[in-house]
Amino acid sequence: MSDISDLNFDSMTPQEFEQYLPELFAMGESGRLSENPRLATFLSRNPDCAALVRDLETIAETAKGLFESDEQEPSDAVWSNIASKLNQDPGDMDEPVNLTE
Amino acid sequence: MQTKPNAGLFKRNPPIAGEAEAIERAKNGDPDAFSKLYALHKRRVYTLCLRMLGNVSEAEDMTQEAFLHLFRKLGSFRGESAFSTWLHRLTVNLVLMHLRKKGLQLVSLEETINPSEEDAPKRDFGSRDTQLAGSVDRVTLERAVASLPPGYRMVFVLHDVEGFEHNEIATMLECSTGNSKSQLHKARLKLRELLRQPEQLPETESSREVLQ
Repeated sequence: MSDISDLNFDSMTPQEFEQYLPELFAMGESGRLSENPRLATFLSRNPDCAALVRDLETIAETAKGLFESDEQEPSDAVWSNIASKLNQDPGDMDEPVNLTE
Repeated sequence: MQTKPNAGLFKRNPPIAGEAEAIERAKNGDPDAFSKLYALHKRRVYTLCLRMLGNVSEAEDMTQEAFLHLFRKLGSFRGESAFSTWLHRLTVNLVLMHLRKKGLQLVSLEETINPSEEDAPKRDFGSRDTQLAGSVDRVTLERAVASLPPGYRMVFVLHDVEGFEHNEIATMLECSTGNSKSQLHKARLKLRELLRQPEQLPETESSREVLQ
């Protein structure tokens, strides 16, 4: 595969663009791919590709929000088992406690 | 792990009031201080385990293992990274070790090159009929992520949710950086498909709680 920095997107087919997308997204982590001036002409000529890029950006951006929100609470049994284990002989610490039992 | 700390994770893990003192006290064997560390970080650790494993009981087991491991290793924490970042990496490594023990191949090169028909994203990547209607809400995305095949889910959670970089993921999953990028892309494509028909997604623990 050619170096991404040397590619001419204006003459690219959607199928070729598709092949480069994983690398393009990886390169564009600091900015939105849909706003990359090098892709502007190609995306305006290929609305399906533009929609794909926007959708994948939306998914990635929403995923970032999951990190800070919607945190779940473990059951009280988790701490009970940890506390019980810590109160045991430290020599037993390598034996996992099976919460599912 | 031999990778450099991720600046993004520092930004996302600011120091917590009282945490530094609790760490020092816990290092000296103060049980109340360790209890405080558990209270401060249990949700983050459990949620990470739940997202990676997609199973409540396994996630609780791994949360327990992570904190027991933390207790044993706390003396080696030097404060060179944010404590939550350090604990986060410790947890990820434990979960990955757990999955390997279960025999799960985390990133299959075969799957990337020649994915099974059922799990792989469809090839009509650019088709308008697979286009999302607009924004995606977090609960729906959480349900879609839980529906991903394990290999896709792992890379997606580590990169897009947890903020690890491809080189870090490649080290953790023992695959190439290119494989990590490719797997992430396929995960996002699969999510796009799943999100077009959100009514067909199974409920997760979190979505049930929100709906109740």
